[in-house]
Amino acid sequence: MAEPVVRLSNVWKVFGTRAAEAMQAIKAEGLGKPEVLKRFQCVVGVQDASFEVPRGEIFCIMGLSGSGKSTLVRHVNRLIAPTSGQIEILGRDISSLNERELREVRAKQIGMVFQHMALLPHRSVRDNVAYPLEIRKVAKSRRWAISDHALGLVNLTGYEDRLPKELSGGMQQRVGIARALASDPEILLMDEPFSALDPLIRLQLQDQFKALVAQLQKTTLFITHDLDEAIRIGHRIAIMKDGVIVQIGTPEEIVMKPADDYVREFVQGISKLKLVKAHSIMEPIEKFRATDERSLEDSPRADENADLDQLIDLSVDTYSPVIITENGKDVGVVDKARLLRGIQGGKND
Amino acid sequence: MTDSTTELKVTAASDIDVDHDALDASIRQFVGPNGASYVTAFHKIHNATGWMPPTFNIWAALLGPLWAAARGIWGMFWGFLILEMIAWVQLGRGLWGNPGAAFLDRAETQFVRAAEFLQRAEAAKAAGEDPARFEKLAANLTKAAEDSLAQGQAASSEAFGILLTGLAVLLAVKLAQGFFGNSVYERQYSRWRITPGSVESGRKTANIMLGLFLVAAIAPLTIYKFTVASPSELLNVFPEKEVSQVFLGEGNATLFSTIASWLEARIDETARAGADVFDGVTAGVRSVLTTLTVALSGTPWPVVMLVICVTAWRAAGPRVAIFTAASLAYIAMLGYWEVAMETVALVGAAVVICVVFGIPLGIWFGKSQRAYKAAEPVLDLMQTLPAFVYLIPIIAFFGTGNPPGILATIIFGMPPVIRLTALGMRGVPESIKEAATAFGASRFQLLKDVEVPLALPSIMAGVNQTILMCLSMVVIISLIGGGGLGKVILEALQYAAKGPGLLGGFAILFCAMVIDRIVQGAFRREDLKQ
Repeated sequence: MAEPVVRLSNVWKVFGTRAAEAMQAIKAEGLGKPEVLKRFQCVVGVQDASFEVPRGEIFCIMGLSGSGKSTLVRHVNRLIAPTSGQIEILGRDISSLNERELREVRAKQIGMVFQHMALLPHRSVRDNVAYPLEIRKVAKSRRWAISDHALGLVNLTGYEDRLPKELSGGMQQRVGIARALASDPEILLMDEPFSALDPLIRLQLQDQFKALVAQLQKTTLFITHDLDEAIRIGHRIAIMKDGVIVQIGTPEEIVMKPADDYVREFVQGISKLKLVKAHSIMEPIEKFRATDERSLEDSPRADENADLDQLIDLSVDTYSPVIITENGKDVGVVDKARLLRGIQGGKND
Repeated sequence: MTDSTTELKVTAASDIDVDHDALDASIRQFVGPNGASYVTAFHKIHNATGWMPPTFNIWAALLGPLWAAARGIWGMFWGFLILEMIAWVQLGRGLWGNPGAAFLDRAETQFVRAAEFLQRAEAAKAAGEDPARFEKLAANLTKAAEDSLAQGQAASSEAFGILLTGLAVLLAVKLAQGFFGNSVYERQYSRWRITPGSVESGRKTANIMLGLFLVAAIAPLTIYKFTVASPSELLNVFPEKEVSQVFLGEGNATLFSTIASWLEARIDETARAGADVFDGVTAGVRSVLTTLTVALSGTPWPVVMLVICVTAWRAAGPRVAIFTAASLAYIAMLGYWEVAMETVALVGAAVVICVVFGIPLGIWFGKSQRAYKAAEPVLDLMQTLPAFVYLIPIIAFFGTGNPPGILATIIFGMPPVIRLTALGMRGVPESIKEAATAFGASRFQLLKDVEVPLALPSIMAGVNQTILMCLSMVVIISLIGGGGLGKVILEALQYAAKGPGLLGGFAILFCAMVIDRIVQGAFRREDLKQ
């Protein structure tokens, strides 16, 4: 993997008529949000955000409403221009593009799905999906074929000639996903795509989406306000609060090592069974042997990437601690105490 | 979450105490001077449950409007000022006005004239002529004078009644002021709590001065004018001539004549200077009109009728088609076919021009809030200005005939399509526009694929409104030489010809209904498709 598909470096967004002035003052004097609001009547939407997303990764941005996550993601296709900082798409600085180049990048390399679907009500499902291609002036026969294929990917074959309003919310959002996929973009931007759907449909779509993206190898920025969703879908998660990225990490890192109280409060209610892997709760085997006299002879073995759920299954039938292996080599031990603490969420030691 | 949860004490509703300290402080802050008594009064109002106000404000009762002004309750100030003035006018008429004066004056002159006739009767008798005629006239006049005298005395005796009414009204008004003053003030206090910035509070000297000034300026003059039998002429008629002379010096010219002739000169000048432009506009309008006239009147009438009926059928269904056929039969059989087609061509030309210019303007105004803000007063003016007012400049600039008539129609008919197009454009959801932009749509593609299609129902409603507005101008433009059915009505009006007028009126009605039904039917089908 040569270079990241999306890279944001020190992106700031200040809203207001005196944004440029405010930005200078922030850089020179290190003003805080309240001072900026008071002195310049400007709101800081995104504060010094930097991250990279490699090819094929689903990168979730999680935060409550007003935390700046939608603002942040709109910088990637420059629906919003940054006040300061740099955004690179496949190595190209997106701020340096002219109007026509920008439209081309939007049409070819970035697909976007919106919370409220934003389908065109007067066009059929097929023409909605084909719209990004129509913008690029692809011939009708071609765009219909591509559109039908994309609809097939989201299991909507047979609905091509319906109008959006004839479809249920979940189906409409699948049309939205098909539309984003139609131009075969490198990058998918998902702006709370499943928030407006009911929970069962949401679960279903999350799984479908995850499988689809894995298959198509799309680099995805996925916005959500639901940590469960972020953990289910994301390879990595960025947690935002008041325009600041508080923590970036894998779901396991977020849950096991929350960066601050804010994140800790969030992850409290999250089930760790599928999330926490053996290697993060195990005791190194040498230390165990040195301090513990329990025998490991009958111990079952599990890979370091086994999750808590699997470890529970193994240790239910035995009193012995479980030995954790890495590439076939014994590296650690998980006993009942560590397992139970792990389920609680990393209160061990 | 867990750390910040405060301990919550649950209290039964009946045990909850009113926090008087905070409330009192707030009331004092609002009331300013004399806080203590208002705190008590507001407490009584807050504790009361019935509609009857439980307090009486002696100052509100005595000072009335002045109290309201001092406290910044301007609604109450105006209301009670008017009511008190009615009471005082009644009192004044009862006390020093003389309601019978007019009758008594008349009786006096009648007696004098009766006496004159009696003298002439004497003179006639002396001259040996027949005095009977004069005697009879004198007797009639005397009788009339006695009637007037009786009426005058009756009216004078009513003065006491008027005085009593005035007193009663004044008492009622004062009681109402006293009883409701605090309640009204308390309501102002409630509003003040919500928006302390924009609701008046306290007792301000500026308000007292303003109240005094208004009462002094309004009450004495009005009471004087209504109570004195023959008030000064200066109060009846605005001294326009004298004011004119202050501005223009001694002479015959008035402000009116000076400004009017100046305006007239400017209009003539403009008409001469811009003759080419105005002629160009007229020619443009005429070319549209000619095209439509050729299409409607030049085409053989059976073809036109057939096309109209089939259009009605396709656009709005069989029932409208039958109605259309019947209407066309009415128009044709009464000999209105030619003029009706001329009317349709006139309206059609106006509508075409309205739509061609109105929709782009509407799109612009929908996108630019600034442009809309600037244009809105003009649009309001176009719709509210009575048509007769702008007929005159139109004649000055464009002459008479059909094209100027179409221009007048456009002035009246264009605003709806502009407004509703702008409204439709603003109603397009931001999210859909954002989506199209995110997929790389250019501004033109955004307009063509998203904004106009989504605004279309609103635009169509605007077009329909414009058509109906244009139809309503048909009669008015015949005043400046417009032809068609309007001219038929105008002629009937001039000769008060009831029959022809009614028949022509129905012809216009049927034209309007047919057009409206067809257009609405077409739009409804368009809506169903979406």
